[in-house]
Amino acid sequence: MIEYAGEPFSDVESLGSLNRYVSGWFSRNFDELTPPQKYAFKLISDNRNVLITAPTGSGKTISAFLSIISKLFDYSLQGKLENRVYCIYISPLRALNNDVYRNLLQPLDSVYAAIKKEKGTEIIKQNIRNVTIGIRTGDTTQQERHAQLVKPPNILVTTPESLAIMLNSPKFVENLKSVGYVIVDEIHELANNKRGVHLSLSLERLAEIIGRDFVRIGMGATLYPMEEAAKFLVGFKGDDPRDCTIVDASWSKKLDIKALSPVKDMINTDDSDIEDAMYGELNNVIKKSKTTLIFTNTRSGTERVVFNLKHRFNYGEDIAAHHGSLSRESRLEVEELLKKGSLKCAVSSTSLELGIDIGAIDNVVQLGSPKSVTRSVQRIGRSGHSFKSTARGEVIVLNRDDLVECSIMLDAMLKHHLDSFLVPKNALDVLAQHIVGMSFTKKWPVDEAYALVRNAYAYHSLPRSDFISLINYLSGAYVGLESRHVYGKIWYDDKEGTFGKRGKYTKVIYMLNLGTIPDEVSVNVFLTGTNRWIGNIEEEFLSRMKPGDIFTLGGRLYRFEYAKGMKCYVADAKTSSPTIPPWFSEQLPLSFELATEIGAFRRDFASLVGAHIKSNKVTRITKMARMPKKIDAYLSMLPVDSKSKSAIYGYFLEQLLFAGVVPNDKLILVEQVDYSGGQDLRYIVFHSLFGRRVNDALSRLFAIELREMMDTDIGVMVNDNGFVLSMPKDGRLTARNLDAMIKDLTNGDMTSMLRLNIRNTELMKRRFRHVAARSFMVLKNYKGWKISAGRQQVSAQLLLKAAESIDPNFPIIKETYREIFEDVMDMPRTNEVLSNIKSGAIRCKLINTAVPSPFAHLMITFGQADAILMKERHEYLKHLHNLVMKRING
Amino acid sequence: MMLDDDIELIDGLPIAFIRSLKSIVISDPHLGYEGVMAKQGVLIPKVNLREMAESLAKAIKLTKAEKIIVDGDIKNEFSKVDQEEFNELYDFIEFAKNNGMELVLVKGNHDNFVERYKEPFKLKVYAQEALIGKYLFFHGEEFPARAAECSMLIMGHEHPAISVYNDIGRKEKLRCFLLGSYMGKPLLVMPAMNYFAGGTEINIEPRDKLLSPVLKAADVDGMRAIAIGFGSTMDFGTIANLRRAAHR
Repeated sequence: MIEYAGEPFSDVESLGSLNRYVSGWFSRNFDELTPPQKYAFKLISDNRNVLITAPTGSGKTISAFLSIISKLFDYSLQGKLENRVYCIYISPLRALNNDVYRNLLQPLDSVYAAIKKEKGTEIIKQNIRNVTIGIRTGDTTQQERHAQLVKPPNILVTTPESLAIMLNSPKFVENLKSVGYVIVDEIHELANNKRGVHLSLSLERLAEIIGRDFVRIGMGATLYPMEEAAKFLVGFKGDDPRDCTIVDASWSKKLDIKALSPVKDMINTDDSDIEDAMYGELNNVIKKSKTTLIFTNTRSGTERVVFNLKHRFNYGEDIAAHHGSLSRESRLEVEELLKKGSLKCAVSSTSLELGIDIGAIDNVVQLGSPKSVTRSVQRIGRSGHSFKSTARGEVIVLNRDDLVECSIMLDAMLKHHLDSFLVPKNALDVLAQHIVGMSFTKKWPVDEAYALVRNAYAYHSLPRSDFISLINYLSGAYVGLESRHVYGKIWYDDKEGTFGKRGKYTKVIYMLNLGTIPDEVSVNVFLTGTNRWIGNIEEEFLSRMKPGDIFTLGGRLYRFEYAKGMKCYVADAKTSSPTIPPWFSEQLPLSFELATEIGAFRRDFASLVGAHIKSNKVTRITKMARMPKKIDAYLSMLPVDSKSKSAIYGYFLEQLLFAGVVPNDKLILVEQVDYSGGQDLRYIVFHSLFGRRVNDALSRLFAIELREMMDTDIGVMVNDNGFVLSMPKDGRLTARNLDAMIKDLTNGDMTSMLRLNIRNTELMKRRFRHVAARSFMVLKNYKGWKISAGRQQVSAQLLLKAAESIDPNFPIIKETYREIFEDVMDMPRTNEVLSNIKSGAIRCKLINTAVPSPFAHLMITFGQADAILMKERHEYLKHLHNLVMKRING
Repeated sequence: MMLDDDIELIDGLPIAFIRSLKSIVISDPHLGYEGVMAKQGVLIPKVNLREMAESLAKAIKLTKAEKIIVDGDIKNEFSKVDQEEFNELYDFIEFAKNNGMELVLVKGNHDNFVERYKEPFKLKVYAQEALIGKYLFFHGEEFPARAAECSMLIMGHEHPAISVYNDIGRKEKLRCFLLGSYMGKPLLVMPAMNYFAGGTEINIEPRDKLLSPVLKAADVDGMRAIAIGFGSTMDFGTIANLRRAAHR
């Protein structure tokens, strides 16, 4: 049973559950137990599975480890501590592993010293040893590995991938047979993705190898629903879920948070002034605190912010950047400086989000929306020295949509409303890796293997037929017998119902290709004629370009000429503006929960502003107009500054005066725009506030309908606040057309309609490549060759074509669709939205506008708001805004 | 569609039929492609031969041809005949025999060692180029030697394709025949038969980046692209026009 912990145990009970040397160490070093420790010490001592969520500084690591260390010293004092692994600690981050290793050495040595002092030479006679700890990751040298094989550490600190490799080493596995505890750290970074799913299967395989259950301890920042995370952690035993107690100390720190708008009017202020104001605001915040951590969402943003802060305010080495493109050494250096407290400010893209020990942070600033309440809580939770201090944070917003979004996000945070995560279910590519891995250990009866796999929560509902089709695929059944030695990774005897390992290379292939994180493809850009390398762009960006298109790269403009394979050739562009907007593929998506909360706010607030317009007969926008009291009072309920209040009010007032309506959670505004900025296209803006994953599906569905109706190709741009369809200018959508489209969409099987239409998209190609690589169909590494991501991509497209012609339900294809429909898009909620449209709970309204309404502006200029690229977009935005104002004020 | 009164392009397929020779012409099948890829770590299921056999069967039925002329690169590996290739080569020869077809091979750059199988399978193999009737068949990785003696040149090697952009700017890539002239003779460039061949985008790439020295030297912009796709074959006009359309 999954249950929440009740009342905390008393300190006497908690410390009493520990070995007296260990509790002695604790009392010497700490004045009191932190909230999670008040539960964890006793629960883990009682061998209960627990999931602990708590912010940084709440003694999480000690809460998970202390009872285990205590138990190991019990063994030691009885002279029974052997050179075997008793506890495995797994985190997704090597840096975190190093931290945990360092942080445990002190208590271990200290406890052992106390024992030594008391027992003297008895420790030799009684064979009382210190508890040992060791790290094993991709960085561990061959010698260290060998040493660990001979003398395994009692506590083994590792990563999910290294654990998976260890499970296939028959010799090392012997050392794991005494494991009694497994700790999974940063569970919020694992439970929602394939890397975590991979780990969950490894845990079940470990349990099978050991032949009994071990205590499972999960740790992490907050996540919702916690029950899902707990099920992910503990899994099933046959048909019954294993027990788990949830200790939720997520909210043990007080929050002090605010959204800040750099200026009152984000449109009519020059962009250099906005930038000045933004950095001014940032500098104020930095000066106020001892150490500030800034999140920028993108790597280039990080660089830009560091440059500007140094340049504008004469900071020196006390400001540093930390992101994934920097070398490991420079990242470690920044982490060390933070720990020592010698940095005034660290700027990070997302890389410092995880629980690496970075010492005391006073304040967390986010530039632009982190897109999810949960992520925001995790980031802001990085501040505050201890569980008793307050976590402080600000969000400095980048534009008006960002402002509304962040205000509602922080409000939701204060109300403890979190957005939910999903465990990917029945991912066939990850399972393929494990089946190959399992084949190395023994000859498996299919039913036994299937039963093991179903013990992982992520696979409990796996249909047996899917399991068998995967086994068939892995055995190479899709090619003739004579080629199976090349294609097959396992052998499968379907009469006897058994499978096992095949070939001597398979194990090498497995070791070199294991893992779930795909290689990213970047396209090299060269100057035609000179063959000078200019930079990289993403392949999806390339696929959108046609010859003659102008784009920015590294701050300069280039004209696209042609592409060959993964090379792109360009010429210097003589014009001043790009013809296609910048492109980011992996933007953080806005969550459904947050989107609907924003929608509800829009509905509420718009009716308030609407009433004001009506009763005061407001027809124009004047700069001097003061904010009505009622409206001021309403906005004052949000955690925002006064400039933000003015900006939000202005935004809604403009939209209502121009369009007469503000789209909200119960109203999808469909806005057909005449203006298209000189392009021969007609834009139809769907203001649908349901988060990116739903919009991703909705946009494609509407595009399919529109295509059928207009008999022309339709362009799609998906955004957090809606989506934009484009078609040739001569077409026009009528209200009757829209009704017919909706009728179609609300009466039929949307998933199969999408499936038919998604086949030729870049999304499909890209995801298929990832799945094919994870399923060992396109190898990243083969017989010592590293196969480039570009080559993988080209091959994967051929593969998709070939696999389809063999069987449209080929496991790799099936998994690609699953990933798109379940992980990338959100079909259940898309269907929910559609059925609400059908029942009338959500209305769709078509309006025609000569120029885009204010709420459409950011969607039309699309691309993500990013501190770097504000300039060009801001010019265009201002242009759009002027058009609107001309119409309102005449 | 009829190219002239002797040559027919089979609708929707990368196959030409020459009446006076009672011959079906194809180029660049690259047999054994999947097996060779699999040995490099990309496990592509085998479909090329199957698809090719289906297309040929259709063409044979339609035209009552007696001969299949392969204008080079019947197999994929440069240096040797791989086991995987041998199996497919063998199956293809069987296929031709079962359909009563005589098989004529013009050697391409990938076809070393094919000669080894010439005797056992009774294949007709031309080393460089073949003057059959009034047509000169050559693969295209080198200049033709006997152009003066023929009335039309037919080559492969380049895997020609064109890219066109639809209303909303999305790219569509289509395989094509190229019809132009070289050294004063009409020139037909065959599309690749291989199922997986992407093709060179003739209307996008600069001429000096093309594969074949013949096309580098010829007036490519003046050639007509006859594209294959969605079950039909259609004249798309000159490369020069298609180049302009893409740069619109």
